[in-house]
Amino acid sequence: MTDRLRITGGAVYDPANGVDGDVRDVCVEDGRIVASLPGDAPRLDAHGMVVMPGGIDVHAHIAASSVNQARRILSDERTRDPVSPPALLDAVARSGTGGTVPTTFTTGYRYAGLGYTTVFDAAVAPAGARDTHAQLDDTPIIDAGFFVLMGNDAYLLRQVAAGERERARDYAAWLLGATGAYAIKVVNPGGIEAWKRNVRAVTSIDEALGMPGVTPRAIMETLADAANGLALPHPVHIHCNNLGLPGNVTTTLDSMRALSGRRAHFTHVQFHAYAGGNGKPWASGAKELIAYINTHQEVTADVGQVMLGHATTVTADGAVEYLLHASSGRRWVNVDVELETGCGIVPYEYRDAAAVASLQWVVGLELFLLSEDPWRVVLSTDHPNGGVFTSYPELIRLLMDRAYRDERLKAVNHKLLAGSALADGLSREYTLREIAIITRAGPARQLGLTDKGHLGAGADADITIYARDSDIAVMFATPRYVIKGGVLVVEEGQLRRAPPTHRMHVRPPYDDAVMRDLSAWFDRYATIALANYPVAPPRDAPVPLGASA
Amino acid sequence: MSEMPGGGGGLVEHVTCLGCGCSCDDIAVAVRDGRIAEARGACPLGVSWFGDGRAPAIARARASTVTVDAALDAAATLLDQARRALVFLSLDISCETQRAAVEVADTLHAVVDGVSSSTVAAGILAAQRRGRVSATLGEIRNRADCIVFWGTDPAERYPRYASRYAPEPAGLFVPDGRRSRRLVSVDVGDARGPSDADMRIRVRADQELDAIAALRAAVAGRALGGAQLGGLADLARTLTAARYAVIVYDAEPGTLPNEPARAESLTALGQQLNAVTRASVTPLRAGGNRVGAESVLTWQTGYPMTVDFSRGFPRFRPDDGARALVASGAVDAVLLVGRALGIPFAIDAVPSIAIGPAASETPCEVAIDTGVAGIHERGTAFRMDDVPLPLRAPVPGPTVAADVVRALAQRIGTRRARRS
Repeated sequence: MTDRLRITGGAVYDPANGVDGDVRDVCVEDGRIVASLPGDAPRLDAHGMVVMPGGIDVHAHIAASSVNQARRILSDERTRDPVSPPALLDAVARSGTGGTVPTTFTTGYRYAGLGYTTVFDAAVAPAGARDTHAQLDDTPIIDAGFFVLMGNDAYLLRQVAAGERERARDYAAWLLGATGAYAIKVVNPGGIEAWKRNVRAVTSIDEALGMPGVTPRAIMETLADAANGLALPHPVHIHCNNLGLPGNVTTTLDSMRALSGRRAHFTHVQFHAYAGGNGKPWASGAKELIAYINTHQEVTADVGQVMLGHATTVTADGAVEYLLHASSGRRWVNVDVELETGCGIVPYEYRDAAAVASLQWVVGLELFLLSEDPWRVVLSTDHPNGGVFTSYPELIRLLMDRAYRDERLKAVNHKLLAGSALADGLSREYTLREIAIITRAGPARQLGLTDKGHLGAGADADITIYARDSDIAVMFATPRYVIKGGVLVVEEGQLRRAPPTHRMHVRPPYDDAVMRDLSAWFDRYATIALANYPVAPPRDAPVPLGASA
Repeated sequence: MSEMPGGGGGLVEHVTCLGCGCSCDDIAVAVRDGRIAEARGACPLGVSWFGDGRAPAIARARASTVTVDAALDAAATLLDQARRALVFLSLDISCETQRAAVEVADTLHAVVDGVSSSTVAAGILAAQRRGRVSATLGEIRNRADCIVFWGTDPAERYPRYASRYAPEPAGLFVPDGRRSRRLVSVDVGDARGPSDADMRIRVRADQELDAIAALRAAVAGRALGGAQLGGLADLARTLTAARYAVIVYDAEPGTLPNEPARAESLTALGQQLNAVTRASVTPLRAGGNRVGAESVLTWQTGYPMTVDFSRGFPRFRPDDGARALVASGAVDAVLLVGRALGIPFAIDAVPSIAIGPAASETPCEVAIDTGVAGIHERGTAFRMDDVPLPLRAPVPGPTVAADVVRALAQRIGTRRARRS
């Protein structure tokens, strides 16, 4: 335990405060960054090393009911990846198993071991929120929050149909507070509810889905306005219609244009950036998509890079998983969640010999390399969908090391790469400053986390210190020190401590009138009493809303 | 409206019942003098589960009544000296208690198991091989227009299933309730479905898998051979004509003929049906938060049952469940957490500790009575469909199980840390 610590001699990358590799001290006191410390404060020598804020994952699946369903069926791969307890000094150390969907304790340890200190679970069914809080309580070291699924919620869709956008906003506010969530998530707007009615494809964002006026456009507008009207720290977080289908870049661009001028986050855009379709072969749509993102400041995104190797696809987007099951013959889980959302799971492997997997790998890299604003296009693999979070160091190497990237490019299947920008040659190499943005400062800004993702006075003392290595992947895979909330959790590359974690959530205000309506809805359709629906409020105070609330 | 725990009286509403896996959360418990006077809205099974709320509150080490602290010390000593311990997650404990009990097993390098390995193992293993197609109970209530009860009449062991979930309630997409749904009974051997089914198919017990295979073939559009399968062709048509078909079977042993391959075959049928229409296959599960034990074990270890920590990390040992381990003498101490009901081994076969409701009534060497989760203790439990629900505590009880097991984990952790 260190109440005070002066990190000296390291090259500091703190892009939020305009610090770009300058050698300077970083001072920590009582869990926060401070401007200075007395000269006799304990020192940590970081000479020759790189100092960054702790990593922040804006989009991963680590603690939802769906994640636990995935764990259940993956006994084969976890048998190959048993995990003994780390040698912790301050807490009970727990064993676990890894694979593509590690157990909760192992998830926390492995994220911390990578220098990540904050992670958001990107898709939680409201009815499963209590499960997620319990799983996060068993996920050590990392601070966490989650996004709650609303884009196929039967009550919400009825408000959209009725044009009751204010009531929709009140409902969203109530649901965020009732579930202890951090942001509003939309997955395949309207498309999951359609899948439950055996409607398997959404042709356009203006297609009415089941009820007049209920279109993907109207759902996205309603929830984007709700998030912005409530001044939530993170805007609506959108997984567009038609994930993984050739030609879907049109849908994605239509969705972005539909919300033009509204703050919105579009997630794992790699899975939504394919040209082709309608009889034409798959092709990269990355250039078109990133050109739009580059010129629209209101859009933020994470990439959802595909990493070649094993993954597990787990999503609320049940229809997609049926297609993957039908085309691959692999194990398949589908769980339709009562009037709220869905869940689909298929274990998967992205093989470099496969044409589509190779295209997906290329599309993600193109989005990164053609992005003009690292603050708005940040790193994710949609863990464990595109790849496991432990592959982030490899991804960072692909972005920073062109020679390595070109070498890897030669090894993939080129069948669908005609006209690809990457195949034509992209010379860009990310700098350490840009990496610090796409893995720390950018996610923090997108999430509206003012105390994280930077090293200015007052920030949470979440800090990662890397020893330089000629292999960038080695450098990022094995930080020398990780400090979480002022506590040294990784020391000389070894996990040593597991300090208490924090839950990030919001509790926006709403007009109580919605509760009368909702009470009648629950009486008629729900299987859980309204009084039993809300979770116990997390012990941490809610994250404040913005000024316009 | 409000809870009135403590020694007094009153009405505690929205109480969750763990009498079966339905986990009805609409029970109003009338309390008088700190006892349960009535469990309003509960079925007979629920009324019996709630009882009168009386619970023994004894801590015992060998034959002597001791303080909880002293019993914990004795328990820690017994477990600490064991070469190989078994931690058994039994019934009527909250997920909070289960989480602490798995920690004990992890720290001890013990084996942890629960009731699932001796009841529903075949279904768990089938899901690992094939996955599952399922729906939460609310989805079935609101959407299923065709419900097939496969050798199962829920009225027997899940008395409110029909009125709370299906087929009775009106739902969003089935506005006329029972009349909006096609109810099918597949009678398997002597196991009968509901008597008021709209359609009834009889399948011989030794032809059950053949019947499922035939249904799969028919759903896939292949011709059925043999006139004896004629009723199945009708059923296949009924299933594929449904908007949302649900096949419900009792996963717990006792009513359907023993058929380990049933779960996997039905899942395969359900997956096949989804090529044509929407369908789910949903097992019925019994109560006591046994489903929660599977969830907790899965998120902490990766496996839903029978986990061996003897090498310092979790290993899945589905062939060496609690029953086999105790019978073969492979464990030399048992920590039973939960009610000593329906456990698949003789608790007095090895030195043992019981922590749970009425633990003092077991022959265990060390026993600490706790409350019953959902009667005396708050916390979380999982419904049969993996939906988590809050537990209330309508009446006061003895020591809280989660606190006791956490205290035990701490004692064992301290002893181990001192030695390392």
